[in-house]
Amino acid sequence: MASIIDIKDECALHVRDFEFTYKGALAPSLKKVTMPIAKHSITALIGPSGCGKTTLLRSFNRMHDLYPGNTYAGEIEFEGRNILTPKEDLIHLRTKIGMIFQKPTAFPMSIFDNVAYGMRLQGIKNKTELNDRVEKALKDAAIWKEVSDRLKQDANGLSGGQQQRLCIARAIAVEPEVLLFDEPTSALDPISTQGIEKLVIELKERVSIIIVTHNMQQAARVSDYTGFMYLGELIELGQTEELFVTPKEKLTQEYITGKFG
Amino acid sequence: MTAVQKRIFINKLALIFSTLSAIIALAFLFWILGVLVMKGMSALNWNIFIYEGAPPGYMESGLKHALVGQLILVGLATGIGVPLGILAGTYLSEYGKNSRLAHTIRDISDIMMSAPSIVIGAFVYAVIVMPMGHFSAWAGAIALAIIMIPIILRTTDDMLQLVPGTLREAAFALGAPKYKVIKDVVYRGAKAGILTGVLLGIARVGGETAPLLFTSFNDNFFTTDLNAAMPSLTVTIFNYAISPYEDWQQLGWAAAFILSMFILGLNILGRVILFAGKRK
Repeated sequence: MASIIDIKDECALHVRDFEFTYKGALAPSLKKVTMPIAKHSITALIGPSGCGKTTLLRSFNRMHDLYPGNTYAGEIEFEGRNILTPKEDLIHLRTKIGMIFQKPTAFPMSIFDNVAYGMRLQGIKNKTELNDRVEKALKDAAIWKEVSDRLKQDANGLSGGQQQRLCIARAIAVEPEVLLFDEPTSALDPISTQGIEKLVIELKERVSIIIVTHNMQQAARVSDYTGFMYLGELIELGQTEELFVTPKEKLTQEYITGKFG
Repeated sequence: MTAVQKRIFINKLALIFSTLSAIIALAFLFWILGVLVMKGMSALNWNIFIYEGAPPGYMESGLKHALVGQLILVGLATGIGVPLGILAGTYLSEYGKNSRLAHTIRDISDIMMSAPSIVIGAFVYAVIVMPMGHFSAWAGAIALAIIMIPIILRTTDDMLQLVPGTLREAAFALGAPKYKVIKDVVYRGAKAGILTGVLLGIARVGGETAPLLFTSFNDNFFTTDLNAAMPSLTVTIFNYAISPYEDWQQLGWAAAFILSMFILGLNILGRVILFAGKRK
């Protein structure tokens, strides 16, 4: 009964009959989710707490594998292969699919080293190349002006909004194909939130973005497609405007009009 | 007396008794430190650092042998105990987590922390000194390391667990392999705490006498031979303090003073580092 839009353009990811079960749980937390993710666009995931939107997001870079015992079923297609197979190289996958977390996660090192970290992991040692790419990433993340004179300082001295933009710079420095945002502004003030939203929209030129948000206005402001999830199922996926104005599913309509959630 | 007045009275009584108890407890500490500083300072002179041990009555007798021996023993113990303690603590926090094995190790380590140090000395005597046939600095250092390991293991475990899980996830999300996540992010985040644990561990074994009595034993002369008995400040204090000779007793006070200042310094340094780390 779910209403899933058929995306004509190229897809960055394709989720098919995906099920996810947490360790020890009797029932899957995600049930038969099928969902195309359009390339170079922003897909927002909305839904009440516990609906599985973060669980789905964390499946795209197989973050769940950090905690043994969780099981996947179905398929997530990325670059022509199913990334759920055991032989998938997770280190490689995570350089292609980056993630931004709810709370800023600046590493306990300098601003420069934070941004350079992912590149150094890939074995880039050349000083000039590192300098150039760190500067470019910081510029792309709209934080260069604020930090260019203190790159050697501890990143934890930055404000929350600045740290979040630093984390975005760190993620885009390794030039991923997809960026996953897990409620990236829920710990930030309105002005920082505005900055991050603007940045996310700019970034879709280069990466495909999936953003989990608690905030329906945010989904409406930034995304091209919106998926509404409820109790582990994807109820509706559609173009954002259509989904908010003329939802096809009754549940979606009830949720966006505030009848529950 | 009304009920309220009675409660106020009991409240005051409790306050007075608990304050008095605190003062008494602290008074002993300051009494010990006071006597130590008075007797120790008066016994201090340059000869202590220049000369090694000598028979009673000699002017040219000092503590050079015991000072150097102490540094060697504690240094060796640190070299053995710190890497083992930190690595074991890393296993518990990053790999073992809540597994049965990890819990068993934590429990055993906690029990080891309160094991009488003389028992550890006897153990090392049986497995190292007896087969080798002689006392050695190695045996002493190993006994000290065994005492040190559970302290460092536990603080490392605790401090690593304080590093937020999202920080680890963020590093994994950039494609970092696990050992790099631990080395680059987790250790850095817990640096101050681990260092404090190490310092407190060193301070703890620095004052141990019992485990050295029959492992590194003692020597009244300067030596750097790790395969022979090695003098230490603590055993020297013990020997000089129970001797009937006035000048040896003086040296014993000086040794006790130096040792206490060393350990006090380590403790203060450990706390300062922890405090500075927390404030950041």
